[in-house]
Amino acid sequence: MPDHVLTLQGLTKVFSTDRGPITAVDKVDFDVRGDEFFTMLGPSGCGKTTTLRMIAGLETSTAGKILFNDEDFTRFSAFRRNIGMVFQSYALFPHMTLFENAAYGLRIRGLDNDLIKKKVAEILALLGLDELAERYPADLSGGQQQRVSIARALVYEPGMLLLDEPLANLDAKLRVDMREEIRRIQKELGIMSIYVTHDQEEAMSVSDRLAVFNLGQLMQAGHPEEVYADPTSLFVADFIGKANFFPAHVTNRDGTGAKVSLNSGQELALSRLVEVRESEKADIVDGYDATLMVRPEHVEIGQPGKGEIDCHVRRIQFLGSFIRYIGKCSDATQEVIVDSPRAVPGIEEGSEASVTIHPADARLFHKGDGS
Amino acid sequence: MSDAVTATVDARGPKKGIDWFPYVVAILSGIILVVFLAYPIGKTTLYSFVLLDDDLTFGNLTLANFRNFIEVPLYTDALQNSITIAAWTTVATVVLALPAAYAVARIDIPYRTFLLTFSIIPLIAPPFIGAYSWIILFGNQGMIRRYFDILFGIDIPTIYGPFGIVLALSLHYFPFVFLFTQGALAASDPFIEESAHIMGAPRSRIMCSITFPLVIPAIGAGAVLVFVRTLGNFGVPAVLGKEYMVLTTLMVYQVNGYFNLNAASAIALANVALTLIAVFFLARIQRRRRFITVTSTTRAAKRHTGRGAKIAGNAYVWSLFILAVMPQIIVLFYSFAERWAGSLWPQRMGWGNYHHVLTELTEPIFNSIFLAGGATLLAVFFGTLAAYISQRKQFFGKWLLDMTIMLPFIMPGIITGVAFLTTFNTGILILTGTASIIMLAYFVRRLAYIFRAVSAAISQVDNKIDEASTICGAAWGYTMRRVTIPLVAPGMLAGGILVFSTLIIELSITIMVYSADWQTMSVLMFEQLLDDQIEYATATGSIAIILTISLVFAASRLVGKSMADMFR
Ligand SMILES: Nc1ncnc2c1ncn2[C@@H]1O[C@H](COP(=O)(O)OP(=O)(O)OP(=O)(O)O)[C@@H](O)[C@H]1O
Ligand SMILES: [Mg+2]
Repeated sequence: MPDHVLTLQGLTKVFSTDRGPITAVDKVDFDVRGDEFFTMLGPSGCGKTTTLRMIAGLETSTAGKILFNDEDFTRFSAFRRNIGMVFQSYALFPHMTLFENAAYGLRIRGLDNDLIKKKVAEILALLGLDELAERYPADLSGGQQQRVSIARALVYEPGMLLLDEPLANLDAKLRVDMREEIRRIQKELGIMSIYVTHDQEEAMSVSDRLAVFNLGQLMQAGHPEEVYADPTSLFVADFIGKANFFPAHVTNRDGTGAKVSLNSGQELALSRLVEVRESEKADIVDGYDATLMVRPEHVEIGQPGKGEIDCHVRRIQFLGSFIRYIGKCSDATQEVIVDSPRAVPGIEEGSEASVTIHPADARLFHKGDGS
Repeated sequence: MSDAVTATVDARGPKKGIDWFPYVVAILSGIILVVFLAYPIGKTTLYSFVLLDDDLTFGNLTLANFRNFIEVPLYTDALQNSITIAAWTTVATVVLALPAAYAVARIDIPYRTFLLTFSIIPLIAPPFIGAYSWIILFGNQGMIRRYFDILFGIDIPTIYGPFGIVLALSLHYFPFVFLFTQGALAASDPFIEESAHIMGAPRSRIMCSITFPLVIPAIGAGAVLVFVRTLGNFGVPAVLGKEYMVLTTLMVYQVNGYFNLNAASAIALANVALTLIAVFFLARIQRRRRFITVTSTTRAAKRHTGRGAKIAGNAYVWSLFILAVMPQIIVLFYSFAERWAGSLWPQRMGWGNYHHVLTELTEPIFNSIFLAGGATLLAVFFGTLAAYISQRKQFFGKWLLDMTIMLPFIMPGIITGVAFLTTFNTGILILTGTASIIMLAYFVRRLAYIFRAVSAAISQVDNKIDEASTICGAAWGYTMRRVTIPLVAPGMLAGGILVFSTLIIELSITIMVYSADWQTMSVLMFEQLLDDQIEYATATGSIAIILTISLVFAASRLVGKSMADMFR
């Protein structure tokens, strides 16, 4: 398997509409290599689909470049890019049997009939569709239709596979099964895949790497655990996983760390500032008002007075492997969420409590940055 | 709750006992259908198996009227000619309409909305008037023939005969195929074509393997509609056919010439048989309708952006539509020519023809409005009731009701005319020569349209709304009057206006059942044409066309649909 590389350089798309230009994609850079499962994640309207369609060649870019193995893709029309694509609505050919749907890409490539039969049979077997070959799309369930559209996109061994919210029309259980299956097949065939979703849980669980988009911009790209642990913006911190946010006043900036004071008057010594862009790190000086972010598993809940910030427990959820405490405190910008591996004695719904922040796992951001 | 309150509610509460209203309505509708639909169809069928002047007895039954189709050249030719004309017209409409539909759906056409509205003009203008404008151009004394004669001394062939008939009918009916196909193309899922594109298919390949196969049901529906309408069309072959006879003109010939209702009935039956074959094909095509995918996205299918494609598409579409409304424009122009004999340009232009038509021929115009109006009211009333019952009630023999009402769809107007003439000329109920025979024939022929429109409207309204009213204690009639009807009223009204606008220029039925006392606008025009009073005929025609277009426009405003959508 050759080591393919897809590179996006300053990719931009501006739609001109009646109400003026809309910048759907704004100078996006990233690259995807080999058999990577790469996910574009972000809220609705952030430009994921537009980026994907530009890679596919269905949309022309306003500026920037798309390179595939150092070849400029932007010069090729969609039908010469040798890409496989799976649409949210499946877009199966309703007038063709499942077999003919899957064979379409091979027929275009002018393969002889025997080879087409063989290859289609292989791919249908891989997706567990061999029994259904003579059916029409209308006679298939949603999940089966989705498999057909994947088979159809893979059968001609494209250079990469693009998937635009392929699971959005499936029910929750099937969605989980299908995403695992997509990943299994993707790895089995070793095909580079770019996947679009707005479901962060889905993105975290299947991707090798993911890219978080907001308002047409790429906010952060990296391995899921990296993006979760070290978000570089408030937006990403908020969008990926759960997070607590506290207003924080910088009192003592020194070297790589800083001392901050919270609204409650508590002081925290942060050993390490977040690795935000260097230029921005420099802005965080004494007297600066910032936002402190800490994940629920890095906060502890205890009896009132024991911790740094007092709160009122509103709700306790037993989530299997851990217990989630949701509280209200005057200090935080949102509800305070604490995930604890075991129940804390004496803390009930409605009772008063206090929370302790682990300074080592807390991150400091520019106030209101990104979100 | 206090006793007093309970008592008041009880006193005004629901009426007890069985709600008879639905049964009364069902029985009334049933009687109407039996007397004015089943009875005429049955009697006409029987008549076709009896010879002229024979009584309708078992011993007199014969196949002689049908044997004519094998033995008598006049009949054999008419049958053959009908099939030829219908087949060629169908082919021509598809060939004309497909590129136009594709262009309108996939190329930037300036004023596209206007164009779509424009496209229904040929459909709503009376076709025999359109046909006549071809005579104005290419008839014995035709303008263009005259120009060629005067300017170049060339004698070009006249328009009479099969070619002219196919030409006039194609330009009249092609909008059906165009509108159906364009609608389907516009509604198809753009992602399907995109996915083919990504898989490596070039444009031409996508067109052949995806785009067109997916709209075949729509093309088929349009084509079958054209075929059926052509078979039932009387006006155009009557105006352009001369000695070239088709089934419909032969039917009129048998009635007007010999009053041979038995022969006419047999011809009618042959015509219906052909129609049935076409409808059978339609049903087969429609079974594949499930293939049609209607998109949920707002993303439009990819347009051709090349200059060449744009220029070619626009040129084709605009020339086709200008050609199609040309007959109407010529009619309009001619209607202002007060004197025009043997010259390149009319000698005198003015409102004279309109003046003549409006002052001296008011009666036929009034008759048309009266007859069409009465028939429309009847159709709206019974069509709505029947649609309601069929949509909302379960009862024995419901399929029979649905089927009977839809029968006139496969029975061209002229056959309804023959059936009414045959049936109500003798026997228990004699109506020949009265206004009621015309009005009732109109009513029966158009009932299906209202039935269909209102059924569609009712099926859109959630049944629970009715049930809520019933649970509140309202009787069926009350629910219908206060809840259902107001909800479907716009659909009913629009359907009514559409029916009315087609009836004021109805010729096929009218030509069979009208009498001297009840001459209509269409018959008047037809006779003016045959009498070569072209200037009056064109003025009457222009009034009719403008009236019809305004009515359709009003109806489209009422339901908030585009005029083109009203015909899809
Ligand atoms: N053809 C178009 N014309 C004009 N604006 C468009 C067009 N396509 C997309 N946009 C705009 O570009 C922005 C990005 O759209 P895009 O479809 O890429 O979002 P998305 O991230 O895929 O969202 P979703 O999760 O809802 O699918 C949106 O603001 C959208 O309204
Ligand atoms: Mg999208």
